[in-house]
Amino acid sequence: MTSEYERGGHADLAPGEESQDGEVSLLQRIAGYLTGLGLAILLTATSFFIAGTDLVWQPSIPVALVVLAIAQMGVHLVFFLHITTGPDNTNNVLALAFGVLIVVLVIGGSLWIMAHLNHNTMPMDQIIHMQG
Amino acid sequence: MLGKLSWSAIPIDQPIPLIAAGVVLVVILAVLAWVTLKGYMPYLWREWITSVDHKRIGIMYILLAMVMLLRGGSDALMIRVQQAIAYQSNGYLPPEHFNQIFSAHGTIMIFFVAMPFVIGLMNLVVPLQLGVRDVAFPTLNSVGFWLTATGALLVNVSLVIGEFARTGWLPFPPLSELTYSPGVGVDYYLWSLEISGVGTLVAGINLVTTVLKLRTKGMTYLRMPMFCWTTLASSLLIVAAFPILTATLAMLILDRYFGFHFFTNEAGGNVMMFMNLIWAWGHPEVYILVLPAFGIYSEVVSTFSSKSLFGYRSMVLATMAICIISFMVWLHHFFTMGAGPDVNAIFGIASMIIAVPTGVKIYNWLFTMYGGRIRFATPMLWSVGFMVTFIIGGLTGVLVAVPPADFLLHNSLFLVAHFHNVIIGGVLFGAFAGLTYWFPKAFGFRLHEGLGKAAFWFSLIGFYVTFMPLYAAGLLGMTRRMQHYDVAAWRPWMIVAAIGFVFLTIGIVFQVLQIVVSILQREELRDRTGDPWDGRSLEWATSSPPPVFNFAILPDVHGEEAYWAIKSRAKQRDLEKNEPHYEDIEMPRNSPTGFVCAFFATVMGFALIWHIWWMVALGFVGAFATFVVFAWRDHDEYVIPAAEVARIDRANMAERRALASHPGSA
Repeated sequence: MTSEYERGGHADLAPGEESQDGEVSLLQRIAGYLTGLGLAILLTATSFFIAGTDLVWQPSIPVALVVLAIAQMGVHLVFFLHITTGPDNTNNVLALAFGVLIVVLVIGGSLWIMAHLNHNTMPMDQIIHMQG
Repeated sequence: MLGKLSWSAIPIDQPIPLIAAGVVLVVILAVLAWVTLKGYMPYLWREWITSVDHKRIGIMYILLAMVMLLRGGSDALMIRVQQAIAYQSNGYLPPEHFNQIFSAHGTIMIFFVAMPFVIGLMNLVVPLQLGVRDVAFPTLNSVGFWLTATGALLVNVSLVIGEFARTGWLPFPPLSELTYSPGVGVDYYLWSLEISGVGTLVAGINLVTTVLKLRTKGMTYLRMPMFCWTTLASSLLIVAAFPILTATLAMLILDRYFGFHFFTNEAGGNVMMFMNLIWAWGHPEVYILVLPAFGIYSEVVSTFSSKSLFGYRSMVLATMAICIISFMVWLHHFFTMGAGPDVNAIFGIASMIIAVPTGVKIYNWLFTMYGGRIRFATPMLWSVGFMVTFIIGGLTGVLVAVPPADFLLHNSLFLVAHFHNVIIGGVLFGAFAGLTYWFPKAFGFRLHEGLGKAAFWFSLIGFYVTFMPLYAAGLLGMTRRMQHYDVAAWRPWMIVAAIGFVFLTIGIVFQVLQIVVSILQREELRDRTGDPWDGRSLEWATSSPPPVFNFAILPDVHGEEAYWAIKSRAKQRDLEKNEPHYEDIEMPRNSPTGFVCAFFATVMGFALIWHIWWMVALGFVGAFATFVVFAWRDHDEYVIPAAEVARIDRANMAERRALASHPGSA
């Protein structure tokens, strides 16, 4: 344990990363959460602004919102859930990857299955209407 | 005041459930009376009910599973007898009762037999194999167990108060919607699974964390015993899949209680979405059950072949591949629903691909046996029986994974035979192998070999005589869940299946007898060394039963098969004579949190089923208050002094050394 305390002063931490052995002072941790909060508010405000604005080309708005949403997720993961690329974080990153994979498989698969089902089991008059 | 509950809820006019319930009630009261009179109650409360020791919780899970196996088995007996006699007649079970029985049979066997059995074995063994003192969250572990017990209790209460679901083990809408199932049966199903589902999820989280975070020094991922790997894969699947079940059932609850339209016929509901979601949980569930069983076989085959496991890394890879692919095949449960050829083809191919890693495992076990010194003890018999039986089940599985074949076989008895083939031949045989293999570790004495072998042979023969006829009847066009039928060609197969069930029943009787006789003869069967099978992993490095802290000194691992390496080195250098330096050990304090939480959850579940809203509030507030009290407790650990640790460990070491100096006496 001593060796870890010795190198305590110059903690080599990625943004949002929390050290395992309490090297980071309370102040630094609060600062981390406040940075995250600031970024999250900024991204949220931008989303609301973009949604109602006519400053940009209209069809690009949904894309911009998707980008902002993904950025928002990133901020939450890094600053609040402390998922980083640090060496102690392999488990968390793998767990996140597994979770994302399962969500993509289940939601994507469900959408695909239900789309085909709805198409194949359409009421007869609609099928005739489509063919006509 | 009491919602929908009234005296008419008690089925006075139906003798079978009433007599059954009466017998069960008498047995429970007798046991309670005996325990109280003998003065065992404080002991039970202190040492078991409030225990947070992973070994004790594991044992209680397994006990729950075995009791529920008797209940689910009685249901199976009634189904087989009904189908054997209900040719051109109504049999002895009226349709609404028959429907409840097959629904309860499936629900109980999956959720309250197979699940607690494998979770119990994982709980019991994994911390020992990893060389650690407990699971990651000991009290949460206890909560998980007691919530599972709550679910089991609610299902069994439905026998006397009200009714159980008549919808099959998965309550497909629109049949399970309020319009077609106005009674409380479906509500019993929904709430018992919502509550026990939380318990299962908690157990899964706990085991994932334990494997990822709590390994002893030197126990890298690729040195973990195979059972730990399959536990990891299975627990990951629990964490990923059980929320789907909980959410899907919650949507059905919203439909039934608050008039939502998720799965109704009218107002934009989509019945097919229920099938889609329930099987997105349901298929991973199959692998949640069978992966730990694969782990047990790996341990057993390697130990009783006196060889290390063949192809350890390919086994790890196969396990993790199954873990992922199991989430890509769920549509094969509803090929016939109409998704069309594109979708069916993709999912059909994925279903065939998942058979590949399973095949890899079978070959690995065969090659482990090849050239080994095989001892055909009871656990090994179950494993060999599994390999033969599971191959047949796997092949019929690949057959029904072909969509055109599935269109013929869907919902037929062929399908019933297939999944019993893999669940009995895979999961149940594995659970029994694990039970006989780890029983000496849990209790300090072996199970009676002769009775164990008798149980195995009767179960194996009984399985084939019961379920092979169902394949035939299925190919002849008999659909599942028939209360009566008029086709003469099916009759002989149903009679043979009923005869087969007699063998299965004898097998179960021998299981019970085996445990009773072994307890009576425990002095002759005593395991003094802690290593009765010449084992290879760390659970055999400690005494049987292990002390509460598992290991006096946490082991230091230098390669695969940790305990085998320790034994080899000990023979060369006589290391065991050097007394290690003992230190104080901190262990988590026992806590009634789990039991009290589950008590209030039972009250809440029962009240929700019967719409007794004040009681719902009571149960909820009680459960929440328990949690708050637990969260604010002051001290959660107690210390076992080094002297005490030394005393316990020296006794075990002396036993081991005494036996090691007399070769052949072990």
